[in-house]
Amino acid sequence: MGKYYLGEFEEVVMLTVGVLYDEAYGVSIKKEIEARLDRKVSVGALQSALKRLEQKGYLTSREGETNAKRGGRPKRYFSLTAAGKRAIEDTRTMRNELYDAIPKIALNLEMN
Amino acid sequence: MKSSAPPPSPPKILLRFFRWFCHPDLVDSIEGDLYELFEENIVQKGLHKARWGFAWEVLRLLRPSLILPLFRFYKPIYIAMIKHNFILSLRSFRRYKSSFLINLIGLSTGLACALMIYLWVNDELHMDKFHVKNDRLYQVMQNSQRPEGIRTSNQSPALLAQALKQDFPEIEQAITTGNNEFNGRGILKQGNRQAEVDGLFASKDFFKAFSFPLAQGTPQQALSNKQSIVLSQKLARQLFGTTKNIIGKTVKGNRDLFGATYQVTGILGEVPTNSTLQFDFVANYTMVFSKVEWIREWSGDGARTYIALKPKVNADAFNQKLGQYLQTKPDREDNHLFIQPFSERYLYGKYKNGAPSGGRIAYVRLFSLIALFVLLIASINFMNLATAHATKNTKEVGVKKALGVTRGALAFRFFQESILLAFLSLLVALHLVGLLLPQFNLITGKALQINQLLDITWPILGITLFTGLASGIYPAIYLSSFSPIKVLKGASYKLRASSKVYLVRKGLVIFQFALSVIFIVGVVVVHQQVSYVQTAEVGYSRDQVLHFKMRGKYNRETLIERLKGIPGVVNATNIHGGSIVTMSGFGTGFQWSNQDADKEVAFRRPHIGYGFVETLGIKVLQGRSFSKSYGDETSKLMVNEAAAKLIGMKDIVGKTILDGDQKKQIIGVVKNFKVRSMHEALQPCIMRFSPRGSDFMVKLQAKNQAQTIDQIKRVYTSFKPEYPFVFQFIDQEYQALYQAEQRVASLSKYFTIIAIIISCLGLLGLTIFTNEQRMKEIGIRKVLGASVLQIVRLLTGTFAKTVLTAILVALPISYLLMDQWLDNFAYQIALQWWYFVGAGLAVLFIAWITVSLQTIRVAQVNPVNCLKDE
Repeated sequence: MGKYYLGEFEEVVMLTVGVLYDEAYGVSIKKEIEARLDRKVSVGALQSALKRLEQKGYLTSREGETNAKRGGRPKRYFSLTAAGKRAIEDTRTMRNELYDAIPKIALNLEMN
Repeated sequence: MKSSAPPPSPPKILLRFFRWFCHPDLVDSIEGDLYELFEENIVQKGLHKARWGFAWEVLRLLRPSLILPLFRFYKPIYIAMIKHNFILSLRSFRRYKSSFLINLIGLSTGLACALMIYLWVNDELHMDKFHVKNDRLYQVMQNSQRPEGIRTSNQSPALLAQALKQDFPEIEQAITTGNNEFNGRGILKQGNRQAEVDGLFASKDFFKAFSFPLAQGTPQQALSNKQSIVLSQKLARQLFGTTKNIIGKTVKGNRDLFGATYQVTGILGEVPTNSTLQFDFVANYTMVFSKVEWIREWSGDGARTYIALKPKVNADAFNQKLGQYLQTKPDREDNHLFIQPFSERYLYGKYKNGAPSGGRIAYVRLFSLIALFVLLIASINFMNLATAHATKNTKEVGVKKALGVTRGALAFRFFQESILLAFLSLLVALHLVGLLLPQFNLITGKALQINQLLDITWPILGITLFTGLASGIYPAIYLSSFSPIKVLKGASYKLRASSKVYLVRKGLVIFQFALSVIFIVGVVVVHQQVSYVQTAEVGYSRDQVLHFKMRGKYNRETLIERLKGIPGVVNATNIHGGSIVTMSGFGTGFQWSNQDADKEVAFRRPHIGYGFVETLGIKVLQGRSFSKSYGDETSKLMVNEAAAKLIGMKDIVGKTILDGDQKKQIIGVVKNFKVRSMHEALQPCIMRFSPRGSDFMVKLQAKNQAQTIDQIKRVYTSFKPEYPFVFQFIDQEYQALYQAEQRVASLSKYFTIIAIIISCLGLLGLTIFTNEQRMKEIGIRKVLGASVLQIVRLLTGTFAKTVLTAILVALPISYLLMDQWLDNFAYQIALQWWYFVGAGLAVLFIAWITVSLQTIRVAQVNPVNCLKDE
């Protein structure tokens, strides 16, 4: 495990924030995950992950425009920080290294 | 989007809930997200689903990371404030040691009292409530129209349960159990082992309706056969030496258990102590039913009936339906049924005009009130001392206010101090409870344990917090209201003299002492009444009369002859159905010539043997008593004065009246005597003759009783009875009738003492304090030539006035209360004036001693010591 540790859901959130780039706020992140990964995400789970990631310094947020559709409440947009970018890269590299280290024979489905 | 119709908004209450718990930094953006999702969901899934979805999301937002920190004073400044207050409190405790100790002792004894009473009350309130079906479990009660009024009984015909189950679909289970007569007392034998038992006969669904635990066996099967018997573990060990592998084995009952063979079908678990039904075994009621002929008729009451209603059945509606049911059965025209919740029977076991009218609940209420008042008295001490100390605290308040401390923070400081003290007292109180609980159990006849307090942790913390708040409320409001300018200018002495505060403080002292007076009057009256009923003239001699019961088949006449042959025995007699104290048998069935046709009268109607009147020293006024020298006496009767007056014949001796359908001659009139307790009025009594009674009463000589009793025991055992010799003196039996009152008497005595001690502690604290305040004055007066006596009189004068007022307030209240309590008894003492004056004087005296001991010390002070400063 490197110095960046991301949980599975945290990683998904980070990646999605990256995907959405300039449009990443609560609802859009939630929908993106639900659409791409075909899983249900509760606002609670998402928000607590976002808060945690912000505290770790991987995400940063800014308050966006308000809009009547949202009961007059502002959006909070998230974007990746430098540390956040390193964190997802690091996680990816680690995964790839692990994947590459698996002997070919273990992945040969026909053998089973 | 039309602006006229606002879009549907998410449920307001959920939104508010969310805003309440959510962390303030996040609340806006998350709420926005929620709105957005909600509105989209309306479009996609409809309003209804959207609302549910919203609720679900809000619930799932309840996570530690998103909610507001629990402790809102998370800013370091608040912690510093609490710490600062804490130090101030500790300093003030150390500086005013006497006040602190008085507060601590007062509050902790008050709390200890309240805790013990709470334990007791809690235990009483939970009696019989452990059954799973508790809220559906009822006992079927029976009202019968009697000449003396409606009589309520918990017995019913043995046929009732089954008939009810058939006719009322609302009933889930209907249970028959044995009544007083078929109570399962007897002896069980197995091989050469045997045990005296006290059991219960119950119909087969017993374990389904009641949740008594079974260690072995199932509720379905435990009572499935006529021979089924479920033994307690203790009984199983007594009979078999083990509880293992005895299912299916048999035990044999003696005559009282119908001489039947029973088959073990289960082993009972622990029967909870808070159950009013206690038993060594449960056997199938069918056994009783098959062996006793008369209980198969509707006319006899040989059972008790319990029902478990199906869930959601309205009990009131069911009661309406049930009322007339029994009247449709033969010989039951006068009987009316009603159901009473089973667990309620314990606390509401008295009936008036056919409806429950209190019972033990009165004592539960009484003691809860006492607990509350004792706590109040203790809290008042704290309040009084705190306001008295106000003068010393004024500087602190002034400085703080000048520095900009808000009133709320000041109030908080005083609350913190009182709550701190309350919790310190709680610690002491818990130790006190641990120490005193065994004694308390002895008096109340309970088996309360200190660890039961754990079950009521929250109420205890609540009570303590409440006490702290109640004690602190006055200082918190009063002290924090000082104006800083006045205080700092040195106007503190004016504050002390401020008449309003003075009045409140005085009022509180009056309240304390009024309560003390009421308590004392209560104790005196209860004590007087209890000792009155215990020593009252009852028309027979209770002294040195021994009572025992002998069951089985034997010759009564020989037994009595042999008893009389013992040197220390004066006389002996036998009677049916308990000694003269506990005698049962009350009813109608007598007719005479000039009787009011429509007025049937109920009599006490014991069956007595020879020598009854002589053994008990009852005076024969006219005629004679039953005697062997007149041959068969079964067709003769004796009456007491009350009965003679009721029957109203002239020269009643020699006249005949009808006992049922038998003509019987009255041969004697005896002086009125009182059976059973003084709660009941004297009843007319017609004594019938029967030599077959199995309760024996033996009058002993005063000397060598131990020896005599030993010989009686030997005579008893020579008849080879099944049961061991158990005896009681009838004066003990008589005392036992007033057990409840005696408990109240001794408990209230202790609580009164505590109340008085706490009140006096408070008074002492106040005295010490005011005397300290007046030290200079005393010094100057002494310099100018005042004597010690004059100074003492000056200092104690106001207290005497206060306490006198308290007494005046308390007397009428205590009179009313006591008058009401005495109504419980058919025989009451008259309330004497000296009970009240005595109580008043006692309180005055105690208060005066408290004050003057302290005051005399102060008055003897050397004026130099208090005048040399400044």
